[in-house]
Amino acid sequence: MTLQLLFDALSLGGIYAIAALGIALIFGVMKLVNFAHGQFIACAVFALIVPSADAIATLGIGALPAPLLIPVVLALGAGLAVAAEALVFRPLRHASPVSLMVASFALGVLLQNLLLVTYGGRPKALSLWAGLGAPVPVLNAQVPLLQLIVIGAVAVILVALALMLKRSRLGLEMRAAAEDFGMARLLGVRANRVIAGAFALSGALAAVVALVLVAQTGVADVRMGGAIMLIAFIATVVGGMGSLTGAVAAGLMLGAVSAALQAFLPPEARPFRDAFLYALVILVLLIRPQGLFAPAGAKPRV
Amino acid sequence: MSKLGVFDMAVRYGKLTAVTGASFTLSEGARVFLTGPNGAGKSSLLGAIAGAVRTAHGRVEIDGEIVSGRGAEDIARHGLSMVPEGRRIFAGLSVRENLLVGTGIRPDREAVAEDLETVYAAFPILAERRHAPAGALSGGQQQMLAISRALMTNPSLMLVDEPSLGLAPKVVDEVYERLCALQDLRRLTLLIVEQSATRAARVGGRMLLMRGGRIVADGDAAAFAADDLLAEAYFGDPA
Repeated sequence: MTLQLLFDALSLGGIYAIAALGIALIFGVMKLVNFAHGQFIACAVFALIVPSADAIATLGIGALPAPLLIPVVLALGAGLAVAAEALVFRPLRHASPVSLMVASFALGVLLQNLLLVTYGGRPKALSLWAGLGAPVPVLNAQVPLLQLIVIGAVAVILVALALMLKRSRLGLEMRAAAEDFGMARLLGVRANRVIAGAFALSGALAAVVALVLVAQTGVADVRMGGAIMLIAFIATVVGGMGSLTGAVAAGLMLGAVSAALQAFLPPEARPFRDAFLYALVILVLLIRPQGLFAPAGAKPRV
Repeated sequence: MSKLGVFDMAVRYGKLTAVTGASFTLSEGARVFLTGPNGAGKSSLLGAIAGAVRTAHGRVEIDGEIVSGRGAEDIARHGLSMVPEGRRIFAGLSVRENLLVGTGIRPDREAVAEDLETVYAAFPILAERRHAPAGALSGGQQQMLAISRALMTNPSLMLVDEPSLGLAPKVVDEVYERLCALQDLRRLTLLIVEQSATRAARVGGRMLLMRGGRIVADGDAAAFAADDLLAEAYFGDPA
């Protein structure tokens, strides 16, 4: 039971963490809360299937073998995000953060309606990697194979991203730009390169979330980005806006608390699980309004 | 040909004019102080030259090439490097990472590694703390880091904004000693914002005096110190 709970918490929290990272990466370098991130996820889901209004989806790209499918979907997610940056956010580079945020809302609505026109409004059943639902015995628990894969993939992604940020030239420039973009530019750091890099990473992470959501639920819904976007946004706020570590930690925590509430709340209270979760979020923010991990750039300089 | 040319430069923030009609040239290897009272427009002028502040009017040339209107990241590629007001250290990055941020514009990796060793040799404290977060350094150490970070882009022209700000007088002496030594070593052209004209006179060099957004005098710093013009600029009626 407790082991089962641990796996639930890790796999749910891992997905929240990846979604939150997608938001935090972009916020870090350009102080934009990208509310279209949920629609990036939805677009990556619908990229798997052939456009039609049918209730049962026909897999297009989704029918490719996994070693081919995963890089293709990640590249599509990254491409969509980079295109959105070039077409929507670059012309607004010097606008206020509020204008940027409103633009991201508009982009999200536009993308959702494009999906609606192309695929129709009804949720579609699709089966991606159906065999992954099979339970695997781990010690004394039965864990779906998919959950183990998700936990493993999240761990690999987090380590790879941390190494990329710590060791690569682009990672260094992104971290410097997140602290003080003007200073980074004075040192010759290319703003376009850093911002496009952040969007590409963010889009690829959105695609990861999309693949996991589809594999878990077997549903493609035009509105599916909204719910995960909300929780991911909350995770970035609780973690401290702009802090990548904070986004990951808060994502994992939200997943863990969510799984624990699901397990331990009395059955009649379970439908209100999210109310309990958000009450806790409010409590955390009352105690630490700046979030759990305020980034270094947010501290006053001496 | 002059290293840096500034012609009829103006900077405005909304209706407020920070700099107007500023013109001067710097010859290669010169050390020039930009002095004047608070709010004279010194930092705005420096920021405008570096491309960090938008100019309302005027032209900047480096080695005869017009660079005004380009972004700061392009101007950095013309050999200009800046030590900004308040140092603007990347507090969450390590000392070493701070030094490396500006080396992306240099193609020669080996020269970068060599320069890093030179910086470490010149400032042993930076070598010792190379993996510590830069925000943990003292003010004086951060100033050394900011200067070293600017040098790591391998500039020929360096703009330094108030290196003495918030530092103890003894530390300021050291900062200037280091700056002058580095200038000789690297054949740098230096433009230094310094609020204290006495300090500028003591270090020595040419001095541009700013007041109310204009350059009101230009001459040898030591000669200025004896002159009434200085007191006039700081305390007199705005013209």
